[in-house]
Amino acid sequence: MKLHIENLSQTYPNGVQALKNVSLEIETGMFGLLGPNGAGKSTLMRILATLQMPDSGSITFGEHNVLIDKTEIRQLLGYLPQEFGVYPKIKAISLLDHLAVLKGIGNSSERKNRVEQVLVQTNLWKHRNKRLGGYSGGMRQRFGIAQALLADPKLIIVDEPTAGLDPAERNRFHNMLSELGNNAVVILSTHIVDDVTKLCPDMAIIHEGVIQMTGSPQEAIEALEGNVWQRVIPKQELDKFKQQYQVIGEHLIAGQTQIMILSDFDPGNEFKPKPADLEDVYFSYISHTQQPVLV
Amino acid sequence: MLWNVIQFELQYRKGRPATYIYFFILFLMGFLAIAVEEFTVGGGTGQVKENAPRAIAFMMVIMTALPGFLMSSAIMGTPVLRDFEHKTSTLFFTTPISKGTYLWGRFWGAMIVLLFVFSGVLFGLMLGAAMPWLDEDKMLPYNAWHFIQPFLVFVLPNILITGTLFYMGGALSRNLLFVYVQGAMLLVLYLITGDLLNDLDNQRIAAILDPVGINLINLVSRYWTVAEQNSQVFSMTGLVLINRLLWIGISVAVIFLTHYIFNFNIVKRGLWRRKQKEAQQVALPKLIATEINLHFGSKIELQRILHLANLYFKEVIRSIPFLVIASFGIVMTFINGWSFGSMYGTDSYPTTYQVLNVISGFNLFFIILIVFYSGELVWRERDIKMNQIFDALPLPNLSSLLSKFLAFVAIHICLLLVLMLAGIAIQAIHGYFRFELGVYIGNLFTENLAFLILFTLLAFFLQIIANHKYLGHALVVLFFIVTLVMTQVGLEHNMFRFASGSLGQYSDMNTYGHYVPPFSWYQLYWMAFGVILFAVSVSFSVRGVDTMLKKRLQLAKLRFARPLMILTAAGLALFIGSGAYIYYNTNILNTYQNSDEQIDLQVAYEKELKQYEADLQPKIVETYVEVDLYPKKRNFTAKGHYILKNRSGEAIETIMVQEPPHLDNHTDLLDFTYLDSIGGQGVELEKNWEDFGFSIFRLPRPLMPGDSIQMDFVQRYETVGFKESGSNTNVVFNGTFFNNTYFPSIGYNRSVEVGSDSERKDHDLPEKERMRERDDPVGQSITLVGDDGDYIRFETIMSTDPDQIAISPGYLQKEWEENGRRYFHYKMDRPMMNFYSFLSAKYEVMREAWTTPQGESINLEIYYHKGHEFNLDRMMEAMKHSLAYYATHFSPYQYRQMRIMEFPRYATFAQSFANTVPFSEGIGFIMDIGEDDVDIAYYVTAHEMAHQWWGHQVCEAQVKGNAMLSETMSQYSALMVMKEKYPPEKMQKFLKYELDSYLNGRATEQKKEMPLSLVEGQGYIHYRKGSLIMYALQDYISEDSVNTALHRFVTEWAWRQDRFATTDILLGFFRDVTPDSLQYLITDMFETITLFENRTVDATYTEQSDGEYVVNLDISTIKYRADSLGNETEIPIRDWIDVGVFGETESGKDTLLYLQKHRFTANESSLAISVNQEPTRAGIDPINKLIDRNPKDNTRDLKKK
Repeated sequence: MKLHIENLSQTYPNGVQALKNVSLEIETGMFGLLGPNGAGKSTLMRILATLQMPDSGSITFGEHNVLIDKTEIRQLLGYLPQEFGVYPKIKAISLLDHLAVLKGIGNSSERKNRVEQVLVQTNLWKHRNKRLGGYSGGMRQRFGIAQALLADPKLIIVDEPTAGLDPAERNRFHNMLSELGNNAVVILSTHIVDDVTKLCPDMAIIHEGVIQMTGSPQEAIEALEGNVWQRVIPKQELDKFKQQYQVIGEHLIAGQTQIMILSDFDPGNEFKPKPADLEDVYFSYISHTQQPVLV
Repeated sequence: MLWNVIQFELQYRKGRPATYIYFFILFLMGFLAIAVEEFTVGGGTGQVKENAPRAIAFMMVIMTALPGFLMSSAIMGTPVLRDFEHKTSTLFFTTPISKGTYLWGRFWGAMIVLLFVFSGVLFGLMLGAAMPWLDEDKMLPYNAWHFIQPFLVFVLPNILITGTLFYMGGALSRNLLFVYVQGAMLLVLYLITGDLLNDLDNQRIAAILDPVGINLINLVSRYWTVAEQNSQVFSMTGLVLINRLLWIGISVAVIFLTHYIFNFNIVKRGLWRRKQKEAQQVALPKLIATEINLHFGSKIELQRILHLANLYFKEVIRSIPFLVIASFGIVMTFINGWSFGSMYGTDSYPTTYQVLNVISGFNLFFIILIVFYSGELVWRERDIKMNQIFDALPLPNLSSLLSKFLAFVAIHICLLLVLMLAGIAIQAIHGYFRFELGVYIGNLFTENLAFLILFTLLAFFLQIIANHKYLGHALVVLFFIVTLVMTQVGLEHNMFRFASGSLGQYSDMNTYGHYVPPFSWYQLYWMAFGVILFAVSVSFSVRGVDTMLKKRLQLAKLRFARPLMILTAAGLALFIGSGAYIYYNTNILNTYQNSDEQIDLQVAYEKELKQYEADLQPKIVETYVEVDLYPKKRNFTAKGHYILKNRSGEAIETIMVQEPPHLDNHTDLLDFTYLDSIGGQGVELEKNWEDFGFSIFRLPRPLMPGDSIQMDFVQRYETVGFKESGSNTNVVFNGTFFNNTYFPSIGYNRSVEVGSDSERKDHDLPEKERMRERDDPVGQSITLVGDDGDYIRFETIMSTDPDQIAISPGYLQKEWEENGRRYFHYKMDRPMMNFYSFLSAKYEVMREAWTTPQGESINLEIYYHKGHEFNLDRMMEAMKHSLAYYATHFSPYQYRQMRIMEFPRYATFAQSFANTVPFSEGIGFIMDIGEDDVDIAYYVTAHEMAHQWWGHQVCEAQVKGNAMLSETMSQYSALMVMKEKYPPEKMQKFLKYELDSYLNGRATEQKKEMPLSLVEGQGYIHYRKGSLIMYALQDYISEDSVNTALHRFVTEWAWRQDRFATTDILLGFFRDVTPDSLQYLITDMFETITLFENRTVDATYTEQSDGEYVVNLDISTIKYRADSLGNETEIPIRDWIDVGVFGETESGKDTLLYLQKHRFTANESSLAISVNQEPTRAGIDPINKLIDRNPKDNTRDLKKK
C-alpha cells in the first residue's frame, strides 16, 4: 500500500506555519523524515496518525482517506508518539494485553502470544511484571515501540523513537524497524541523520514546514560528491568564513573548530575535499537559516 | 527575599482570568442577594430587614461557604502543587531560597489573592445595599460596620482556616484531589454539626466545632427577636469567640505542621515504601509466530467497551480520594442514622423510608464524586500523557466515552449497594428487623440511580465542552446555581428542571401511590435528553491534539456519522415524544400554573369579589351527601344537599356559591328548592366568574329571616393524567382523607386572599391584618371553620372498594355490599361543627370501650394500617384517660363513640372532627417510645381528644386570640392527662422542647409577635408558649382552680350559636379563680409578652452542727416586656418565683430538697435556705416554669464553704 500526501498545510493559532504545501509519496518500506526540531515533523506525524486535522490538503493510504476514514486507518496503524506516558500502577504485560484488546486482537491465546512476542522483541521480557511507573526512560521507550507493533500494523509511524536510547538499544531498535519495512509503510521521523543513513532507502528532509528534498539518500549523497570541503579554522574567524563560504557544518575536533563548506570547485585556502555523507546533504538543505546541530 | 516570592505568586495570579472570575462570582452573588428580590440567599424576611446585621452575616457566611471551599482549594491548593505538575520544582528547589521563604512566600501570596477574591462578597453586598430601587421599608439606614464586622469575624478566619488546610494538603500530598478530600472533610464536619444542632443537649459542641460558622450563627442567634436581628452584630464573645479561637488555633497549628513536614526535595518519600519487584530472569517464552487476526464489529466492540470500563472502574474505586470521600459519606450516614424523625427528643422507628431519608444525605457525596471523577475520567489519558497512543487506537469514538460512563454507573451501583447494606445495618443496630428490600431497591435503583446517571452524563458533557478540568468542575457547580435561579424566575416547570421527577413521599399505607407513572415518564424524558447529551459529548470529545473550537466543530461534523446519528435521532424522538406526553398530561389534561400565576389569580379574586364579603348569606344547617369513592382511579362523586337557613334579621335576595378550588374537582350541579309551603324552584344564575368558580344566584322570592332553602349539588372529583406539581395526596389508592373544603361553600372566601405583606404591596392591595379584632361583631358571629355554617345536622352514605373501610363523622347506621362496592351509612344524632372528613383505606381495627361514671359505654376504635401496631395501646389508654379527666373536670363527653383513623404521611398532623380523629402515620404510630422518652402517641391523642371540648363543645369566634381557646386549652388538657401518668422529669423534658420551640418561633416571626390572648394563628404561641403558660398557671393558682374556671367556661359557652367565645371571656373566668396577689400573672402571661432573665450569681452552702445545711444564694432577676418586634423594656419586679435546692438520692439521681415560691422585689437579692440533706445545686426557677432565654444559668452547683 502506498501513502499519498498532497498539499498539506497547517498553521497554528499563534501564527506558526508548521506545514506548507507538503506533498509526499511513500511506498512500502522505511521512509525517513529528517528535520531539525520545530521543522514540522511531529505535526506531520500526528496528522498521519489521525490525531490532528490539517487546515488543507489530503492524505490517502491505499484506498482510505486518512483524514476521513479514521477508524479504518487506526486499524492499520502503529503509532509511537514523541512523548507519552503510561499508567504507572499497571504491569507492562497487563497494559500491553489491554492495548491488544483495544487494537482488536480478540482471541485471548493469540493475544497472549503476540504480547509475549513483542515483549521479547523489545527486550522487555524480564521486566514484563514490573509496574510501568518503575521503568527507566529507555525501557519506557521500548514499551512504546512494543505497543506500536502489537497489532501487526501496515502503517507504522514512529516519532523520534531513538531519543533517549543508549547505543545498544538503538541498534536493536534499528534491526527491528528494518524487518518491519518488508511489508508495511514505516515512517521514521528523526533529527538524527545516522538513523536514516542506516535504515531508510527513501527519505525526505523537512525544514520550516517545507519539504526541502525527497528521494533516496544514496542518490542525494552522490549528487553532492566532490562538492564538500573541510578545514580546521581558528575559532574567532568563524564569522569571517561564514561570510565567505557556504558553511554547512562545524564541529570540534580535539578542541579545534572544523568547518565543512559546499563548493562546486576547489575553494583552496587550505580546504581539503571530503567524501560526502548524508549529514552534508542534510545540512546543505537547512544551513541557510539554521545553525547546524551535530550529533 | 520573602517579598519576592510573594510577588511572584501575585504576578502569577494577576495573569490568571480565574482570579477575577472568582472575585466577580462572589461580588455578583453578594450584589444580587441584597439588591434583587428574586434572588434570596438566607437574607431578611418579614420584619427582618434585608440589610439587618444578622442577615448580612448569615448571607456572607453562606455565600463564602461552599463556593468558598472551591475557590479556596483552587487558589490555596495549587501554589506548591503547580511546581510539581509543571516540573518546575527542580528549578525552584535548587535556587538558594530557603524552604521557609519558598513555602511561606507562596502561601502569603496566595492568601492575599484569596483575600481579594473573598472581598467580592463584601463589596457586592455593600454596593447592593446602596441601590436606589430598594424598598425603604425593607431596609435599615446604611451602616458600613454591619458589613465589615461580619467579614472580620467570620469570613477572615474562614479564609485562614480553609487556606491553611488546603495549602497544607496541596503542598504535602502534591495532589489536588487530596485538597478536595479535605474540602469534603470540612463539609462533613459542618453537616455533622448541623445535625447535632437539633439535639438540645449537644448544641454548644456543635456550634464550637462548626468550621464554617453557619451553625454557629444559627445557634447564637436562634432566639434573637426581630428587633435584635435588626440591630445586633455577632460580637466576639461567648460561643463565637470560642469557635473562632479554636479554628484560628487549628490554622496556626497547621501552619507549623506544614513547615515541619514539608520536604524541600523533589522525590517524595511515600509513607509506605513499596518494594519494586526485581527484574525477573526467566527463560524466554517459546515464540510461535502465529498470524494475528484482528476483529472489529459490534459484537466484539461490546467486549472491548466492558474491558475498558472494567479498567476505569478499578482505577477509580482503588484511588484513595474515592475511598476517603465514600467512607466519609458512609460514616456520616451512620451518624445521621443515630436518630430518626425526632419529636420532643423521641425518635421514630427506623422504618425503611426513614432510613432512605438518611441515606439520601449521601447524595452530596455522590455529587462531589461525580464532579471530580467525571473530570478525572474524561482527562484520564491526557493526565498520564497516554492520550496520543490511546487516541490512535482503532476504537470507535463512542466506545471510549461509553466505557467511562459505564464504569461510573458501576461505581454508582456499588455505592448504592453499600448504602443499602448500611441502611440495613442501621436498622439492625436499632433492633428493627423489618428490612423492606423492595423499598430499598425501589428507591435506590430507580430514583437515586436515575439522578446519578443523569448528573454523570451532564458532568461528562460539561467537562468535554469546557475541555478544561477545573473549569469543568466549576461549570457543574454553576449548573446547580443556574437551576436554582431558573426556579426563582418562574421557569419552574419540571420539564425545564434537569433530572426532575420524583417518586414522591413513600408511605407505608399508600406505598409509592400514584407517583409511579409521572416519575417514569419524567425519567424517560430526561434519559432521552441524557442520550442526546451523550451523543453531543461523543461528537465533541477531544481525540488527538485539536482543541480549537473550529477544528472541534469540523471533527464533530465528521464524527456525527451513522451510529451517533441513530443514537441522537432515537434520543430526540424519545425526548420529544415523552415530552409531548408529559406536556399533554401536565398542561392540557391538567392546568399548569406557576406560583406567580397562582398569586395573580388570588389577587384578581380579591379585587373582583371582595365587594361581596359583607353581603348577608344564609347558613348551612344541614348536610346530606352520598360520596362514591373510587380509590383505584382516584375519583369520587358527591351528590347531596345543604339546607341553608337565613339566620339574619333581614331578607336575603341572592345566594353566592363558591365552588371548591381544587383543580380536579368539578361542580356539576347547583340547584335550589324552597322548603316553605309555597315551594318551587326558579332560582336563576345571575352572574358567574368561571376563573374563580364563583356564582351569584338570584332568588325569585327573597329568603325571609328564619326561612330555609335546599341547595342540591353534585361534586365530581376526577383525576386525569398527572400534574406538574401539587399532585393531590388526599384522594389516593389507599388512605384517602379529604374534608368538606371539597364541597361548595357559601359566600366570599376570605382565606383565598394573599397573606404576605410584600406580595400584597407588589399587587397594590391594602395591608391586611391576619385576623379580625377580638371585638369585631362579624368575627364574633362566625366560627373558626368559616362563615357559611357553624353547627349542622349531618348524614352521609359513603361507598368505596370492598377491601377498604370508609369512615366519616356520625354513627354507623348500616353497612352493606352492593354491586361489588362497600357502603357505609353514617348519621350524627346531634348538631356538630360544619367540619367533617371522609376517609377510606384498608384498615385493621382495634376496639375497646370506656364506661362513663354514669355507666354509659363509649366505644373506642382505632383504625390502623397493618404493621403499625407499635403504639396502639398507648393511644387507647390516652383516649380512656382523656375521657376520664375531661369528663370529670370540664363537662361530659358529647358522643357515644370515638375513633382514631390512620392516614398516609403526606401530612403529619392529627385533627379532631366530631367523634373522629384522623391521625397521620408519620406521627405517633411509628414512634419508638422508650422508658425515658416523651410519650408522643399519648400526648397527641390526649390533645386531639381535648378538642372534642375545646373547639367542638366550645366553639371559638374567628377573631384574634381564637387559637388560645382551642389549641392552648387542648395543650393544657393533654399536659394534665400526661401529668397524671408520667413523672415530673418527663413533663420538664416536654416543656423544655416547648420553650425552645417558642423562642425559635418568635425569632422567625414574619409580622409581629402577639400576646397569647391575641394570637393570630401563630403555632409557636398558641401551642408552644401556651403549654408553658398554662403549666405555670396551674402551678401558681392550682390545677383545681384552672379546671374550675374551664368548667364554668364550658358550662356557659358550649353549643352557643348566637355569639362565639373569645379570649377575654376565658380570661375573665381565669381572673375569677386567681387570688389578688397573683392577678398580675394573667397580665404577664396572656395579655403581654413577658420574659425573665433569671440567674444564680453565686451559690454556696455551709453545714450546721445539727446536721442542717444552709444554702446561700445570690440571685439576679430581671423582668422584661417585649413589643411585637421583640424590643425589650425592663419593668420592675414584684414576682413570686420558685427557688429550689437539689440534692442527690442514694442512687445518684437529682431530687428536689426544697421548692418554694419567693417574692422578689429587686433585681439583686440574697437568700438563705435551710435543708436537711447535703445539697448539690440550687437556684431560681429551677424547673423552668417561666419564659427565660437562658434557662441553663438559673441554677448553679453549690460550693461548700
